[in-house]
Amino acid sequence: MDDQFNVKIMVVDDEVDLEPLIRQKFRKQIRTGEYDFVFAHNGLEALASLIEFPDIGIILSDINMPEMDGLTLLTKLKELKNPSLKTVIVSAYGDMENIRVAMNRGAFDFLTKPINFDDLEITINKTLEETLIQRKALHEHDQLISIRHDLNVAREIQQGILPKTFPPFPGRTDFEIFANMVAAKEVGGDFYDFFMIDNNRLGFVIGDVSGKGIPAAIFMAVSRTLIRATGLKGMPAGECLQYANNLLCNESVSCMFVTVFYGIMNMQTGEMEYANAGHNPPYVLKKDGTIEMVPSTGDIILGCFDDQPFKSAKIMLSPGDGILLFTDGVTEAFNKADEVYGEERLESLLQTMKDFSANKIVTVIADDVSEYAMGVAQSDDITLLSLKYNG
Amino acid sequence: MEVTDTKKGDYLVINLSGRLDTSNYGELEKKLIGFIEAGDKKIAVDCSGLVYISSSGLRVLLMALKKITAAGGKFHLCCLQDNIREIFEIAGFTSIFRVFDTLDEATA
Repeated sequence: MDDQFNVKIMVVDDEVDLEPLIRQKFRKQIRTGEYDFVFAHNGLEALASLIEFPDIGIILSDINMPEMDGLTLLTKLKELKNPSLKTVIVSAYGDMENIRVAMNRGAFDFLTKPINFDDLEITINKTLEETLIQRKALHEHDQLISIRHDLNVAREIQQGILPKTFPPFPGRTDFEIFANMVAAKEVGGDFYDFFMIDNNRLGFVIGDVSGKGIPAAIFMAVSRTLIRATGLKGMPAGECLQYANNLLCNESVSCMFVTVFYGIMNMQTGEMEYANAGHNPPYVLKKDGTIEMVPSTGDIILGCFDDQPFKSAKIMLSPGDGILLFTDGVTEAFNKADEVYGEERLESLLQTMKDFSANKIVTVIADDVSEYAMGVAQSDDITLLSLKYNG
Repeated sequence: MEVTDTKKGDYLVINLSGRLDTSNYGELEKKLIGFIEAGDKKIAVDCSGLVYISSSGLRVLLMALKKITAAGGKFHLCCLQDNIREIFEIAGFTSIFRVFDTLDEATA
């Protein structure tokens, strides 16, 4: 058993003969480590011992003692507000008045003198059990608090790296971009990013890290930084992912991975170059209201297999066309009937979005998903990035 | 999700059914690591009952593949439903895993 569940028993009595008697009666339990006794001779000594031995869980106290009696000790113990510290009072036979006072001051149980050692053993065991339950509950409570703390750290990392000012490039009329992430309760690893590579080219990224918590958040932050750093150098999309993959493979613990779509939109020519590492293919929203899927490149997720090549592909956009990137938190949102939102529903919604702004596209889809999943706990981050090319 | 295992020839066959997602991938991870550490080197995963797999689930399969391959063993998948196969294709996993149509082929 853990150290923290080792409970000491403190006997408080001014009768000095009690210590050898108890050591003799419970010698077996003491030898096997089942019981561990500490002795004090009045209330003050008892309080001092509590500081010295924080693992005391049971106090067995006499009432009449010099310096500080048992009933005063009980009052002091109550002030400590330690639910896993139990006091058993030992009183003279038939002394109901003191017993009542002791119970009202928070004693867990009482015994009467002369002490019957069989009864004492039963009482100790019963009290020990209760103390252990309390300590375990307290321990679990502390663990929950620390987990919640971890989740907050992860959330801060995640939120800290997402660009959140829109419009991000206020002077530009040749394109619009809007993105949003709705984080699940348990922090996942979605991210998005975008940056101007030069005056004409915009790099934009969406990614989804497998796994949860701090490791996923760190992996996400590293992925985003690598892609941004290589992207800003103006490297082709596929080469950026290849470079990021090789470095991520060194970072990846127990096969954590990230799916990434990285696009480079040339605002002057309308050409979009892209590479896709295992991410859901985005949609092209044509000016006439029809939609198309961005053709797959068949490349694998980042972070697991090094020295993989990643292809760059190209498509052309016309002024008025847009692109929608999303993570599987969108298409794999569940409703109350346990059905997924699905690509079909997304596609039919997209078909109603002719002439929508980038902002409106994201907002309408996010609202539709949240309406669909009404009343069901969100299990994955929901992330959307919409780019509109105005030419 | 339910995970059961049987023997078929040289292969340890693991049947997955239901949904493999964030809430239960740890259970499968533990089992697979247990088998691999116990020396099972030929494992076939029958996915005929698997209706959904999240990225956490994919990670577990990937981990098993890497561990077994490193130990010189085989890790096969079979009987993927269409939606699962699609997820595998999107993630680029079909080029990494050996995926078979039937359990017989996967354990041949």
